[in-house]
Amino acid sequence: MSESAPRIRHVEAIAEGTVIDHIPPAATLKVAQLLSGAADQVFIGINLRSERLGRKGVVKIAGRELDQRALSSLALIAPGATVSIIRDYRVVRKFAVPLPERFEQVARCANANCITNHEQWPTRFVVVGERPLRVRCWYCERAFPASELALL
Amino acid sequence: MPLAGRHVISVADFTRDEILHLLDTAAAIAQGPRRELLAGKIMATLFFEPSTRTRLSFEAAMLSLGGRVLGFSDPGSSSARKGESLADTIRMVERYADVIVMRHPRDGAARLAAEVSRVPVINGGDGANQHPTQTFLDLYTIAELFPELRAGRCITVCFAGDLRYGRTVHSLLHALCHFACRILTVAPRGLELPEQYVAEARAHGIAVEAVPSLHEAIASSDVLYMTRLQEERFPDPVEFEHIKASYRITAAMLAAAPPRLRILHPLPRVGEIATDVDATLHAHYFAQAANGVPVRQALLALVLGALR
Ligand SMILES: [Zn+2]
Repeated sequence: MSESAPRIRHVEAIAEGTVIDHIPPAATLKVAQLLSGAADQVFIGINLRSERLGRKGVVKIAGRELDQRALSSLALIAPGATVSIIRDYRVVRKFAVPLPERFEQVARCANANCITNHEQWPTRFVVVGERPLRVRCWYCERAFPASELALL
Repeated sequence: MPLAGRHVISVADFTRDEILHLLDTAAAIAQGPRRELLAGKIMATLFFEPSTRTRLSFEAAMLSLGGRVLGFSDPGSSSARKGESLADTIRMVERYADVIVMRHPRDGAARLAAEVSRVPVINGGDGANQHPTQTFLDLYTIAELFPELRAGRCITVCFAGDLRYGRTVHSLLHALCHFACRILTVAPRGLELPEQYVAEARAHGIAVEAVPSLHEAIASSDVLYMTRLQEERFPDPVEFEHIKASYRITAAMLAAAPPRLRILHPLPRVGEIATDVDATLHAHYFAQAANGVPVRQALLALVLGALR
């Protein structure tokens, strides 16, 4: 990663794939579950020391680079995380999890009376606040903290 | 003002100019009847939950402009009862109608229907979410009573009752943010106006102030907008009876009211306005309800492209 001093690796290095770093510790397993396929090799570190967060989580998924849809879901549960794309043990791309203007088909509306919980219909949320992340359902127009939404 | 073909889902979808154009059009229609304006047009009324008041007002508006009406008002007889999706119902109905008026118990149903429909969808109420034509008729009524609203001079509007859950209040407050006004609120503890609406109004330069009782509201408002208190919001029935008594306007309370004060209510009322108020010069809720027809006439004529 960006730190250059030699250090002990807490989590196995991967040859190819995606590393998600600076995950809030409590969201780490959720991130791993969300992003990994059944056959993926996944390495997880929880409550690692972090200068920025105090404690953080790291998830490494071998052999796969995240697509846009996966990243969009990630912003909902781990805003502020960083993503590194690894090829041949080297970081070829590193970026903060982008915050999309809207989330499409990634979460269920927390309003039980929302039409999207009663019809087969894609959900959509518009970001209305960033810190903490708040979203508003495009359909029922209710606003929620992102942490209240269940992922699809 | 290109309102032809537009869906009418939420007041927030409309600009100040569009709202004013709708109010002007409604005023023009109220002046002179246009019996053939919508001849040959068909309005479908899909009432997935009953609301006789709203449905009759829309049907009267359509019929009086020469249009025709079809639809259902009993969800038990509709295809939804047989498990058909809302999207499929809309795809069927849009082939028979030029405009769809829909009321539905689920929040967000109208927005979904609008995404499916090739003809304009007018939201006649979606669950606890929006009821834009109520807001348009409320605003029409206030602008008619107080022309200074449009001239940019400040009027004072007081909202009383359940301000936490009352969607008509939230929606009208949102629309009033386009104008110069001062907002007063009177609400029982726990049913106050949510902070987000207060913040929105203040961001538009509108002062919002809570007053302790209806007496202060009566003394210092131009419009007193009353709403129902719903018993299910109060866990303690004794407390409910007590609070209900303090949210009741009687003719006696209005004896010293300023002559320009007008009382509005989205109706039906359940005791918060005593019937002896009806005969006072302050009562304006029945005229307000009657304004639903010209406002809905104007809306239908505009979205159907019969008026520009
Ligand atoms: Zn929703």
